Amino acid sequence: MIKSSSRFAGPIILALSVLAAWFAKPGAAQTPAAPNESESDNVTITFATVPPVRAQVWWGRKRLGMIKERRTLVIERPRDSGPLDVTVTAQGFLPVHTRAYTFNDYRLTVKLTPEAEKQTLFGYRAPVPDAGANPDAL
Amino acid sequence: MTSFVCRLPWRLVMPLASVVFIAGCRTSPPAPTISAPAPHTEPAAHPPSQTPPAPSRPEPVAAQADVPADRRVLLVQDGKESWVDAGSATGAGYTIVDLSDAWTPFIFAEHQGPEGQPLHNRYRRVFVGLANDRLDEDGEPLPEGEKNYLELYGIPPSLSVLRARFLRDADRSCHDGTSREVLEAVESVSYVEPSRIRAEEEKTARLQAELEKAARKHNVATLDELAERQPDLAAKVKLAQKRTAERAALAAVEHRLTCEGFLEDKPNSKSGHKKGSYDDALRLAVKGFQQKHMIYESNYLRKATVEALARSTLENDLLALKRVLRERIVDAAGVLEDGSANTSKGPPQFPSAAGTKLPVPNLADDLTDLTTKSLGIDTIEGALSFFRRHDTASPLRVAVRLPALPEYYKPHMELSIVIDRGDVWYGLPFDADGKPVPQPRKKFPSFTLYVNQKGQRVPLVRWRTTVGGWRAEQASDGYEYYRYKGSDVGPRVIRNVVAGPVWIAPESTPIRGLVKTKRVFGRSQLVVNYDELGPGFLSAYGLVAGYFVVPGKDGRPDWDNGIRAHGSSEYLSMYSASGFSHGCHRLPNHLAIRLYSFILRHRNMRVAGDQAMDFSRQFLKGNDVYEMRLPSRGFRYQLEPPLPVDVLEGEIKGEQKTPITTYVPMPHVVYPGPPPALPNSSEGRAGGGAGTTASPDEGGAP
Repeated sequence: MIKSSSRFAGPIILALSVLAAWFAKPGAAQTPAAPNESESDNVTITFATVPPVRAQVWWGRKRLGMIKERRTLVIERPRDSGPLDVTVTAQGFLPVHTRAYTFNDYRLTVKLTPEAEKQTLFGYRAPVPDAGANPDAL
Repeated sequence: MTSFVCRLPWRLVMPLASVVFIAGCRTSPPAPTISAPAPHTEPAAHPPSQTPPAPSRPEPVAAQADVPADRRVLLVQDGKESWVDAGSATGAGYTIVDLSDAWTPFIFAEHQGPEGQPLHNRYRRVFVGLANDRLDEDGEPLPEGEKNYLELYGIPPSLSVLRARFLRDADRSCHDGTSREVLEAVESVSYVEPSRIRAEEEKTARLQAELEKAARKHNVATLDELAERQPDLAAKVKLAQKRTAERAALAAVEHRLTCEGFLEDKPNSKSGHKKGSYDDALRLAVKGFQQKHMIYESNYLRKATVEALARSTLENDLLALKRVLRERIVDAAGVLEDGSANTSKGPPQFPSAAGTKLPVPNLADDLTDLTTKSLGIDTIEGALSFFRRHDTASPLRVAVRLPALPEYYKPHMELSIVIDRGDVWYGLPFDADGKPVPQPRKKFPSFTLYVNQKGQRVPLVRWRTTVGGWRAEQASDGYEYYRYKGSDVGPRVIRNVVAGPVWIAPESTPIRGLVKTKRVFGRSQLVVNYDELGPGFLSAYGLVAGYFVVPGKDGRPDWDNGIRAHGSSEYLSMYSASGFSHGCHRLPNHLAIRLYSFILRHRNMRVAGDQAMDFSRQFLKGNDVYEMRLPSRGFRYQLEPPLPVDVLEGEIKGEQKTPITTYVPMPHVVYPGPPPALPNSSEGRAGGGAGTTASPDEGGAP
């Protein structure tokens, strides 16, 4: 269940005014609260990016919403209702496929890599030099 | 699915694990130490016979019509059912078996912390949802009408799922007039590649014509008579008869699989199955059938699969009911013995207090038989009648009078594990030209759990398991090489058992196995393959894992080389001659669940609970970035004291007597240069080299 959204009947944007950069260190300080700390039926998922640029968050065909520059996108989901496989896209950056969880409130800060820097990512494979090719040939 | 296993999350896992384990201990009050008593505590020897022990005379328990639903249990006495108070039943020596749909095995049970706070297991909801055909492997709602069929992977269907099967199958057998006979007439059905079907048919027709001509020449009426008259044609006759029988059997298989909903009822359609062809559609249907009926065979029409196809649907349902009840009863009674430790001389023996030797009973089967009989559900008619009387969707528990357990049962049992690696080859499995080099094994790896009884080591179970071998690994240059991933030898201990464990794929994991296609909200797309990472029945660590370490001493931490004994869905790696792991010792998920539930209930242990973490790592595939995100390592139990393990070297075969410790280029692959060095990290060493220290809160160092 996604509460509210303008166009997509999906996400409810609870807050757009939090500075993403403050907490946008990937992998940092995202440990969820213990599951018994909240009795609410819903959990909130907070999306942010590093660098804090304008980005879209997609859940399959559905657009969950937009992360505005230096802001976050917050949605609600029923507690423990299964994960969301989302894709974060931003102009000039490689799309990132990641996952948000609903076991507790969850903050998802996604590191974006400029398209021109894909060789810095793990898994980048340098091409095998073609031994038979003429380097002078066009 | 990519073949997987134990790969070690070294570089990333161990620091994280340390933090997580420490954090878990520091942020919560100390978890309770549980000295789990056996469900029944009166030890008594079994009679030295092969027959199931008879239960002692039950104490009378008064029926109470007004017992609240959450306290009542069903008791069958002299064939009459009555509801009684659960406390009264246990007080009278009955064992309560939970038949409700919310059941999980002990490892996924709800626990409480020392101050009564719930210790949630993240995977419990998914386990229950999968067993009830309500959720998929991610914990998302299962589309209406879809079935999970995960018994083969360690998640038995709930009683409500079985009840629905029984009630539906009461009106259909899925056999026509002859299908049972034609299936019983063959032991297996030979696989013919779809592209060769026509050629095979022509060959068979030529053979048939040749034999008919010969029959006419020798003036005989049947092929059997021909074979008798002309022994030189006997082999051809046999082949022709086999082909004819298999063709009829294949048609019966198609009928059966269509009836059970595994095969689309649109023959020769573009996306469906082409009649008479063992194509992908039929292979997937057979796979589904095997999953439903817990058949450990590759996806072909081999013996056990054909036998199951020849049975009626209700016969298979009854077998499924007995299997499902076995897991419930084994869990309720806290037993493990399943006859697997028997040898050609019979069951192993244990010394009794009276000085006699008594056989280790097969409690899994004996108690299941006893329970199904006492409930009157040991026949198809009895089971159908039971399901018509009881809607298992409402909480249902039954009280069963079980015999006393063997006298080696104690609240804290002196258990130990021995793993024999069997025949081990260290040499390369291919020659200089890349051709496979045979490395036959006569003795396969085995896993044995012993109990120490009066100074004698008594085997309770002995199962096939895996050891490491040659595996593909991704090196720092982005290319895949072969690497020998062995299994450590020598004494170890299991200190931690993790239910719903998560495997953090090291960077050496080939990326092709880390993504999969998934339908996400109306769109088919590539996502991180969490099936492999877990928690889940398909994950590299299966549904539960015991972590091997060399215990630390003198204030230094445990030494962890990443070897685990864990559940696995890769059953062919355990049961085929060519199966290997990356160093871990795999067990079928349902046996791993039984094993660790048993160990945790018969050893002193502490429930550490959910091991929350926040791990993430990105990798590139194509022009997209994929990010693994793992919020927990699983639900941890700590054995106090740890459980001893000994891994025996086995017999080293071939000329190579030590493991090769470099990357080996794959045959026929072009590389940009020589192989890089093995990573000098704990992650890179994992699976047979040097080890790393475990979390500092777990003891000293070697």
